[in-house]
Amino acid sequence: MAVFNLKNREIECKIVYYGPGRSGKTTNLEYIFKTYKKQVADQMVTIDTEGDRTLFFDFLPMGLGKIKGCDVKVQLYTVPGQVQYSSTRKLVLKGADGIVFVADSFTIRREKNILSLKDLDQNLKECGLNIFKIPLILQYNKRDVGGSIPIMSIEMMQNDLNKQLKVPFFPASALTGEGVGSSLKECMKLTLVHLQKEFKWAQ
Amino acid sequence: MGIKEEIKSVLREAEIYRTQGLFNEAMVKFKHASELIEKNVKPESGKQLVDGITKKIELLKQTIAKYNDPAKPPEMPVEIQNLIKAKFSFSTDKESAALEGAIALTKFGQYERAIKEFKDLLKMESFRLVAAKNIIRCYLASSLTEGAVSQYKEWMTLDIFTLGQLEKIRFFLENLLKEKGIKSELPAVKEEKAVLKEDVAAKKVPEKAKPAIKPLIEMPETAKEEEEFLDVSSVGIILQMEGKKLPEIILDVSFQSGNVVSLLVPIREKFLIANMKAGVKLNDVQFYSPIAILNGSGVVSSFSRIGSGPKMGSYSLDLKMFTN
Repeated sequence: MAVFNLKNREIECKIVYYGPGRSGKTTNLEYIFKTYKKQVADQMVTIDTEGDRTLFFDFLPMGLGKIKGCDVKVQLYTVPGQVQYSSTRKLVLKGADGIVFVADSFTIRREKNILSLKDLDQNLKECGLNIFKIPLILQYNKRDVGGSIPIMSIEMMQNDLNKQLKVPFFPASALTGEGVGSSLKECMKLTLVHLQKEFKWAQ
Repeated sequence: MGIKEEIKSVLREAEIYRTQGLFNEAMVKFKHASELIEKNVKPESGKQLVDGITKKIELLKQTIAKYNDPAKPPEMPVEIQNLIKAKFSFSTDKESAALEGAIALTKFGQYERAIKEFKDLLKMESFRLVAAKNIIRCYLASSLTEGAVSQYKEWMTLDIFTLGQLEKIRFFLENLLKEKGIKSELPAVKEEKAVLKEDVAAKKVPEKAKPAIKPLIEMPETAKEEEEFLDVSSVGIILQMEGKKLPEIILDVSFQSGNVVSLLVPIREKFLIANMKAGVKLNDVQFYSPIAILNGSGVVSSFSRIGSGPKMGSYSLDLKMFTN
């Protein structure tokens, strides 16, 4: 939930990167940390296992400077994608103001994407949030790997994941950085517009 | 595509999945490659390749088993624990936030640190029982059954809890141990409290074991349901106006103690605000928890306007929950 300090004209909001295990959520944050160093407010915190899997969450605080007279800070989180970390995902998702859903373009991960989106929907409901109302963008990651192994077409992924949601989507490669910045910018834009309506802070 | 090319392609795919950390998928592809080789390549040339693939599959199985091992999460550095405490407590009230932070540490498996935090919270009357129960939970989650029992016995010698509270803790611990299939004769509260105090002081075992004494407060069978409450993360309230149901209002739980939840009512919910006061009964309420969505009702135990801070102008609503 956004923290809004009228007196100091400060807004702090939370964006969560969600998606199935190994889809590239942490890689997204690592790219953002490396590329947008000026905006990064502090060190990136990453808690992972020996095998590079996110155990609890990743955390990256960013300052976006002043927008309409308000000092805007955003905190980026990733959730652990593996099925067994369900309760941790719920906790990290609590208070989210915007979501970037990182889907895996590998054909072999098609079902995992769908299950993870359903998991997101369910967890948002339990937090009293609605997947159709929360600022959400879809990122179709790993587009760079095509050729070596089968990847799904954008049309197929849209049909699987975005037929009802109809939210902005971005093909991406978190390893090369393609689409990472645009995904985040669009999510932040949607989140801030949503918060403006909620708090009327620009007035 | 010739068979040779097909096998190469499958192996390449398997290797990419393996390097991407998609171990189950890699294993499937390696097995497929192995089958293709066995079917289409002469044994003398194919055997070495199949053996090599079999070794990779074994390694993958070990890796998968390691990641699926539900072992206790490691204790993180203090800085990470502080971050967990700070970032996963949402209450604007300092003391409630401290409780939420301690609970968050528990949910992240940081039991040692969580126990320290809960022990600090024992000083606060309003959180004492919740903190005590969470301390017990942490010990049991860390497979320290003896620790939980010893803690309860230690509390019996101290003047932190009332007899009623101690009995609730005893009942709580007893039920958790029963669920784990552990039989443990926990000392009852009243007279044993005096005996234990002497034991601790004199550091000797009493010569005659006194017969079990009935607890001061008989906990009814249903007390378990009263004691064990689901974590509720949000509440949906459906009001009526002129006999018609209004759209559901979803409110976040800022704090929960037993079956009472504290909710934040934003200022835009004018109809709700106009109709709330202590004692009001809400007949159509949904409780959203991690496990299920429960239908029920609630009674407003307090309702007040927030006069300062970031949520100034909003309202705080305490609701006692009743589930169907």
